[in-house]
Amino acid sequence: MSENLLQVSGAPHVHNGESTKRIMWTVVIALLPAFMVSIFYFGLPAIILTAISVGSCVLFEYLIQKFVLKTKPTISDGSAVVTGILLAFNVPSNLSWWLVILGAFVAIGIAKMAFGGLGNNLFNPALVARVFLLISFPVQMTTWPEAKPIWNFGFADVVTGPTPLGILKEGVKNGGTVSQLMGSESMPDYLQMLVGQMGGSFGEVSAIAILIGAIFLLCRKVITWHIPVSFLLTAFVFAGILWLVDPTQYATPWFHLLSGGMMLGACFMATDMVTSPMSARGMLIFGFGCGVLTIIIRLFGAYPEGVSFSILIMNALVPLINKAFKPTPYSKQ
Amino acid sequence: MAGKESSLWKMCLVLTVISIAAAAGLAAVYEVTKKPIEESQNRKRAEAINKVLPGFAGTTETVKVMPPTGKDSVTLNMAYADGQLFGAAVETYTDKGFGGAFTLMVGFDSEGKILGTEVLSASETPGLGDKINADKSDFSKQFAGKNPAEFQLKVKKDGGDVDAITAATISSRAYCDAVDRAYQSFMKAKEESHE
Amino acid sequence: MSKLQILTKGIIKENPSLILVLGMCPTLGVTTSAINGLGMGVATTFVLLLSNIMISLVKGVIPDKVRIPSFIVIIATFVSIVDLLVQGFVPALAESLGLFIPLIVVNCIVLGRAEAFASKNGIFDSMLDGLGMGLGFTLSLFIIGACRELLGSGAIFGHKFIAGDGILIFVLAPGAFFVLGFVMALVRHLQNRKK
Repeated sequence: MSENLLQVSGAPHVHNGESTKRIMWTVVIALLPAFMVSIFYFGLPAIILTAISVGSCVLFEYLIQKFVLKTKPTISDGSAVVTGILLAFNVPSNLSWWLVILGAFVAIGIAKMAFGGLGNNLFNPALVARVFLLISFPVQMTTWPEAKPIWNFGFADVVTGPTPLGILKEGVKNGGTVSQLMGSESMPDYLQMLVGQMGGSFGEVSAIAILIGAIFLLCRKVITWHIPVSFLLTAFVFAGILWLVDPTQYATPWFHLLSGGMMLGACFMATDMVTSPMSARGMLIFGFGCGVLTIIIRLFGAYPEGVSFSILIMNALVPLINKAFKPTPYSKQ
Repeated sequence: MAGKESSLWKMCLVLTVISIAAAAGLAAVYEVTKKPIEESQNRKRAEAINKVLPGFAGTTETVKVMPPTGKDSVTLNMAYADGQLFGAAVETYTDKGFGGAFTLMVGFDSEGKILGTEVLSASETPGLGDKINADKSDFSKQFAGKNPAEFQLKVKKDGGDVDAITAATISSRAYCDAVDRAYQSFMKAKEESHE
Repeated sequence: MSKLQILTKGIIKENPSLILVLGMCPTLGVTTSAINGLGMGVATTFVLLLSNIMISLVKGVIPDKVRIPSFIVIIATFVSIVDLLVQGFVPALAESLGLFIPLIVVNCIVLGRAEAFASKNGIFDSMLDGLGMGLGFTLSLFIIGACRELLGSGAIFGHKFIAGDGILIFVLAPGAFFVLGFVMALVRHLQNRKK
């Protein structure tokens, strides 16, 4: 998600030979491992939803650019494809198709085009759509199908189960201790959480697959290390301190890293260049804010998961961060 | 701007006159609306009592009881028919709602069996917690006919007998809390009246 | 400015909530349904009309230094009158608008029109101005309320078009901002096209 290349920052304008198009397709490739894991655990619905989401995002982008804004459609740059994939990755695999189309409309129509299109959007379009759906359709958006390897997946009986974060939040509220809840039957162990065998939005479950994609992006220099590392490290340290204070109430820091949308958020959503700060110091602050807010919402908020909210809140602060930490001009380096 | 001269006595005089005129106007309107406001509040209360005590025709007597749990007293409308205790319509509350405190009216028969529940005022989330209202879902109807002595006033997730509203466990729990407070208060009031 | 212009300028050209962006608290807070928007609009129009007339009447005798306190007392009186009347005669509306009716007193439109128009113009013009501004405010609140009700609960004036819930976010606070933003954009777009 590197639309930032279209934003004009201070001179001199160095051309690095990359195009938005190339970056977008690199991101798509980086998302493939996570997609494979979702197909493995959630089966055909994961493929169908992703196809619907990508298709409707591209279609809405085309229609709005052609008929509302009356500009030349730029769908071939792939930014709508990336938004579509990320939106799909952030919903449960049993979500109704029309909700996905509504989400695509919100992402492209409200979060992106209403702000002026590619490069001008203040908030990450896929996350805006996800939060829009979560608040509007809380029942559908929090009914998670259980992750089952593809060979014992039956289409007739999709069993729904809670997410690890959901189990924890509910359990602690009812007076359970973390160690009891960790031992409960529906709670996956750390290995399962690492590979992705847990309930959740279908693209976020596998930490390992997302990390592979993120390392690929780092090697291709599409993202820098600043945001993911400061996001994850802050969340780890903050959750760790609370865990040391009271291990019966607060889960381990590695649990927080592996559960929910932490990995997907830190590696693919927070790093969106349009909606994240420009300078390295700004990125570190951005990641720090995301990490702190995520843990605060997870542990003390009404929702069990806070990654989407925290990234959106920090998105809103990006103009301020950019103002405070301007990228250093070349002449001063 | 008119009235350029802002001498002290003139400012005092103008403000005093305006305030007196305002007070007089308000007093007049208050007199006119006093009765309708009272009537509409009484009507609302009578309707709520009627809803939670179906088939009751008799007199009510208001008592206030401090419930075993909770910070505030609960108002009980003890209902008498032919000199016998018919039951009570209890104005109960909870502060555990998702949108803050809310108040309910709960009707009991003389044995403590729930006859009906009705939301008096609540600010629960539209589409989720507001399903506690009888016109939004059947959640509140499951209480009628149950006696809390054997019907656990807790949602099933917490080991009770109440079916919670999907995705609104907090509101469901708060509802149970309010109904339970009503029951405890009614039992306490009954005990006190026997002494 | 002709009399007709004074009346109509508040409806589109200087619409209080869509162009002047005044009175955002009720615009965002109460517009969860068409009827709430309409009720709030009418109540505000009533206050605007009466306070404009009254302030225009007494503008000659109020000293400059105490004009704002005097205006506030006059406005607060009319707001309290509206509050009592609504509670007494339209209890259903009083319940859904709740605290927002007393809050009309701090609505910038009312004091704004008093200071900017009524304190400088004659009674008849001030009346037209108050009425026009009130109508513009009512219109925008009604449009926003109708959009939010339609999208958020699939209904208009309480008549359901679709079973079940709508897109809940539109009856919650964020939806108010979405709809307000889009209605504003639409009005600006239409205005630009006219030029």
